[in-house]
Parts: sequence; C-alpha cells; structure tokens
Amino acid sequence: MSDKETLYQQRLKRYTTALRKGKPDCVPIRPFVAEFTAKYACMTCQEVSYDYRRAFEAALKCAADFDWDAVAASMVYVWTGLTHAVGLKYYGVPGIDIPADTGFQYREPPEDNAFMRSDEYEQLIADPTGFLFNVWLPRVSGDVSAAGQPVTFRSNLSFLKGGMAMMSYFHAFGPQIERLRRECGTVSAISGILKAPFDILADKLRGYLGLAMDLHERPGEVKRACEALMPHLLHVALSSADPARQVPIGLWMHRGCVPFISHDQFNSLYWPTLKPIIEELWRHGHQTMFYAEGRWLAHLDAFLELPEQSIVFHADQDDVFAVHKKIGHKFCISGGIPNYLLAYESPQAVRDFCKRVIDEVAFDGGYICDASAIMQNEVSIENIRAMTDYVRDYGQY
Amino acid sequence: MDESKQPTPKPGVCIPWEEKKKELPPIQGNEAQFRQVWQEVDGMAYTYIWHLLVSF
Repeated sequence: MSDKETLYQQRLKRYTTALRKGKPDCVPIRPFVAEFTAKYACMTCQEVSYDYRRAFEAALKCAADFDWDAVAASMVYVWTGLTHAVGLKYYGVPGIDIPADTGFQYREPPEDNAFMRSDEYEQLIADPTGFLFNVWLPRVSGDVSAAGQPVTFRSNLSFLKGGMAMMSYFHAFGPQIERLRRECGTVSAISGILKAPFDILADKLRGYLGLAMDLHERPGEVKRACEALMPHLLHVALSSADPARQVPIGLWMHRGCVPFISHDQFNSLYWPTLKPIIEELWRHGHQTMFYAEGRWLAHLDAFLELPEQSIVFHADQDDVFAVHKKIGHKFCISGGIPNYLLAYESPQAVRDFCKRVIDEVAFDGGYICDASAIMQNEVSIENIRAMTDYVRDYGQY
Repeated sequence: MDESKQPTPKPGVCIPWEEKKKELPPIQGNEAQFRQVWQEVDGMAYTYIWHLLVSF
C-alpha cells in the first residue's frame, strides 16, 4: 500500500468514526473551503468559477498542502461556464456581473416577477417535471423559448450545450475524487445533494418574498407544492449519494428557520415535508449532513425526532456549545469556528477558540472541525494554517 | 397529442416508456432492451432539469 493510500485509510476511518458519533484517534478536520482555494492557489474567483478544471486544481493544491482529513471535491460547486451555456439569469458571474475576485452570487427574483407566479401552484403540483421544463426554465434562462413561442437557435443550443456541459462536469468528479485520494490521501467529504422542498420554492421558484406572502394567502397550496416536490428531491438525493454509504448527503439549509418563517410554519410545513425524506434516506443507509446556514437553535427539538446518527449537524451562526449540549448525545456536530475569526482575527484568537471547541464539544468524539460557513477568499491563509495545526496537535484523543 | 392528459411522470422519468411504446409499431425484438435503454436516456433528461433546479 502506498503512503498516500495508508494516509487515506487513516483519514477515512477518522472521519467516518466521527460521523457516526464515535471517538477516533483525533479530531477530524474537514474544512469546506470554496473561494479560499482560489486565494491559496493564486487564482481569481472568476478563474475557479468559470473553469471547473481550475477549481479542481485549486482544491487539489489545498488538499496536498494542508493536513485535512476530508474536503469537498470542489466547494466552488456552481460552474458558471455551465450556467452561461444554459443562459441562467439568476447568477452574478465573477468578472462579468461582479468583480472578478468576488465569489459568485445568487440573485433573488423581484417579488412581482418571480420565476413561478402565485397562481401557478396547481400546475406545479400536477406535474413538477413538466412545469420545470415548460414554465420555469424559459423564465430562468434568457435563451430557452417558452411553450408556444418560436423555436430559436439559441433555445436549441441551450439544451444541447447545457446537457453536454452537465455531463462533462459530473463525469469529472470521479477522476477528481480519485486524484484527491491518490495524490493527497484526502477523503471526498460528501456525496449527493438535497434541499428542503420549502427552500426550493423560496430559492428557485417563488422567491422568498413571494413565498412569504403565499404562506399567508395560500398555505394549503404551498404545502401541497412541497409535498409534490418531495419524491423528486428524494430521488435526486438518492441517485447522487455515496454508493458505499460512507459519507453523507449534503442538505443545504437556507430560509426554513425562524425568523424567516414562524414556529407554526416550521412545524406545519417545513419540517413535515423534510423529515420523511431524511428518514427515507436513513432507511437506505445514507446519513444527511444538515448544513444549517443561519441560526437553527429554535428547531433542534424537532431534529431530535430523527433516528440516532442519521444526521450530522453543521453549526453555522448557532452557538456550537449550545448545539452540542442539546443534540450532541444523538448526532455528530461539525463546524462552529466563526468565519470572522478566521478572516479578521489573530492566529492566537483562532487557536483559543479551537481549544474551547475541543474541550467542550469534541472531548468525547462526534465532532468534525470546520468553519461555521463556507470559506471564501476573505479567510486568512495564516489563520487556516493555525486552525489546522492546532487542532491536529491539541485534538489528539 | 394532448400533453395535458398525460399522467404525471414519476421521479426519474420525463416520458414514460409506456407512452413511447404507443407511438411505435408492434415490437418484434427484445422489448426489455428497448425499455431499459429508453429509460436510461430519458433519466438523463430528468437529471438535467432537476439538477439545474437543485444544484445550480
């Protein structure tokens, strides 16, 4: 066995032991580094977002240089070369819409011109896939012709280029994951994607403002739309999950928590249309990583309804110590190292905070070290090195 | 074809094999192979639209 393969096996064991709430040899480090990789590899945000091969190279360079157990194959996940080919309007592309060294941005649709209208719920519910092709895509793409409109060269090309680009991109992940293993001894941290039905409605269809109004004006339709999306989102998650069932599916949680919605709306709509998906994934042997962007402390009791070890809870702006006290007996916790600390404070301040996390959260296993949020290019290289070295040294069990 | 009368495709499906089969003359060969390959390629179109929605 090569040195890299030996290292890979050590790291895989360390990472998966912690995922299952166990106590490995030391605290695993799994930083979700996005535009940070560009900074470290001396590239711009434009370079890594518009050319996924550059993003892969930057991710490999970081994995080779830092003693990290697991990373995402590329955390600059949105390849804007593909979104350009499709003609998607809802991205701010670095180097075109925004400065070349700013990470790509999502654009919220205007309330009066959302990608789905408030009177179109029944159409979505009746046939979600047909709605996406026939109604949604022509609205989110500047190139795709709507039903009944003339077929155009640009419309045809959008499907051809978009389809081939997506196939090229997705097929590139296998070799990238293999290179991470062979060249760096690093584990690919996640596999598969899931979003809550509510978040899909808010992010991509009605917009947050539109959906906020719908929750009051047509709550029944909102719930039935979420229910109609559930089997499809489950299918996407299952079909992209790790066949070996070692690493979790990423659930990217956006605006389903208070104060974006009320407690009642969480309990009657968000959670009942997400929980069954998580339970079904677990029945298939797949863990889900709750990447809980924002603050979710108000909903931890609901998450405790899930089977033990079925999720990994990633603490963003929540107090990681409070999260651990509340759900650490049942689930692995990750994250909680504040991004502002990693970006703007001293290496000693980073080490001090990491010590506290190791002492109070990681002391009995079931913790994976990471920043609170995805790390973009404001994060300091010196501080990332301080976090890595300190956790590796002090985080031995 | 009145597309509004079609049944709602299940997850993973854009045009069900049963719908496609109605457009074809009687199958003389191995239907199982036709079905399998149709469904595999049809599933790619499903992957395309749902990943545009969820991943991009």
